[in-house]
Amino acid sequence: MPVTKKTNAQLFFNGILNENPIFRLALSMCPAVGISTSLMNGLLLGIAVLFVQVASSCTIAAIKDYIHPRIRIPTYTLTIATWVTVIDLSLAAFVPEAYKAMGIFVKLIVAFAIITMRLEMFAAKNPVVPSFWDGLGMGLGFTFGMMTLGFVRELLGAGTLFGHDVLGTRPLLFFILPAAGFFCVGFIMAIFNYVELVFNRIKKKS
Amino acid sequence: MKQILRITVGLTVSCLIAAFIMGAVFTVTDKRKKHNEHLNVQETMLGLLGYSKKNPPPGDLKFHRIYRYIVEDGKSKYLGYMVPVEEGGKEDYQLVLIGLKGDFVSSYKLSIAPEKAEEAVEREAAINQVLKPPKTFTYADAVIVAERGGKRVAYLLPGEFPGFKTFITVMLALDPGFKILGLEIMEQEEDPGLGAEISQEYFKNQFKDKSFKKMKEIKVVKEPLPDEYRRFLERKKWKEGMFTREEIERIRSKYQDHDIYALTGATISSKSVTRGVKNMVKKFAYRIKILDGVIASRKLAVAF
Repeated sequence: MPVTKKTNAQLFFNGILNENPIFRLALSMCPAVGISTSLMNGLLLGIAVLFVQVASSCTIAAIKDYIHPRIRIPTYTLTIATWVTVIDLSLAAFVPEAYKAMGIFVKLIVAFAIITMRLEMFAAKNPVVPSFWDGLGMGLGFTFGMMTLGFVRELLGAGTLFGHDVLGTRPLLFFILPAAGFFCVGFIMAIFNYVELVFNRIKKKS
Repeated sequence: MKQILRITVGLTVSCLIAAFIMGAVFTVTDKRKKHNEHLNVQETMLGLLGYSKKNPPPGDLKFHRIYRYIVEDGKSKYLGYMVPVEEGGKEDYQLVLIGLKGDFVSSYKLSIAPEKAEEAVEREAAINQVLKPPKTFTYADAVIVAERGGKRVAYLLPGEFPGFKTFITVMLALDPGFKILGLEIMEQEEDPGLGAEISQEYFKNQFKDKSFKKMKEIKVVKEPLPDEYRRFLERKKWKEGMFTREEIERIRSKYQDHDIYALTGATISSKSVTRGVKNMVKKFAYRIKILDGVIASRKLAVAF
């Protein structure tokens, strides 16, 4: 992929819909399936990924000329790990309230495929500003995906939303378990594909 | 060859830069992080005893910390209890060595200020002054005794045991008769949505009010948590007046001697916590009885 010609707004929405990390790129499935058991978990992990993604994308875009191509992947991992540590330590020191809720999610991020992939595919070839928008879009796209999954799974599995009782019963406990994560991802992916199909058909006709 | 060299140098340099950044952030944040953790522990301790911002603790509530060390002298092993003693209104620390069978061995006065005793390094320095080689010592654990008006109100036990993924750190509160007053999960890295539910009220509050007799043989049952019990355990979340006082008493006594209901999809985490708490209570009850025996027979003027 050469230097992007897309505008910042296009890059931003690209991450949320066209190249949604979970439903279109099918990346970072482990956390998507494992953690999207509730809306809150999805939101918190999404925010954590958003910060790390934006920070790492900008860093790599800024220092890409100094990285030897043979060691780019270790450098990406190192960058992500550094940002994760920095965010983890700063949260613990300055916002202990947020750390109580988010600490466990931030530590998980180091090995996320979506971040490494975005650094390799985009930030390593583009300047800082587009990388920022791409990172922001991807982070929000991930948050959106996680929250959609969390919404379905929490509502069906526990009958609650954000921990508040909505349905009054627990219709299908199965949805809380990891296996159901795959089902949910599959279903929502199918919906995405179907919408795209219909959309393209309408486009052709007109 | 040139390639290898460039790769090595490149990797080393990037590692060094990363290490430098992380180190710098660590130095900047470490003090505040420790401070926050300290506040958190303090808040948890008060919370377990039923105090909060709305219901502040009484002024005469005091916490005394006892530190336990394992002391080795050649082949023989002792337990070294670092206990606070009160002499003429001044609090001091003494190191009491007890044999494995509960017999008194010796005691030493330690020169350490009570407010500095919370720092592990300071404690070690003070013990090093009295325990000369070949005696060696290792830190085991600590107990916090809550005292009010010369009477013990509760024991607070910080503890750690293996969970499903890594160690789970907890704080357990016991009353003087070793009945559980409350359990708080301090740190855990179980799976979110499954094992991580151990820190939810409907799990950890199940331990509340369990008697010492029950705790000695407590098990985990794979039964669904009854709805009324769940609402009862989570009653902090609901509006006041959801339960009448009689109802609270009724549900409390109904489930008081019941085993722990396992979390759905996280039996191992549930079992680990139950086993961990059970061991903590059993071991502590045994140890404190021995320590109390020695304190009584030696007429130590302990502060608690």
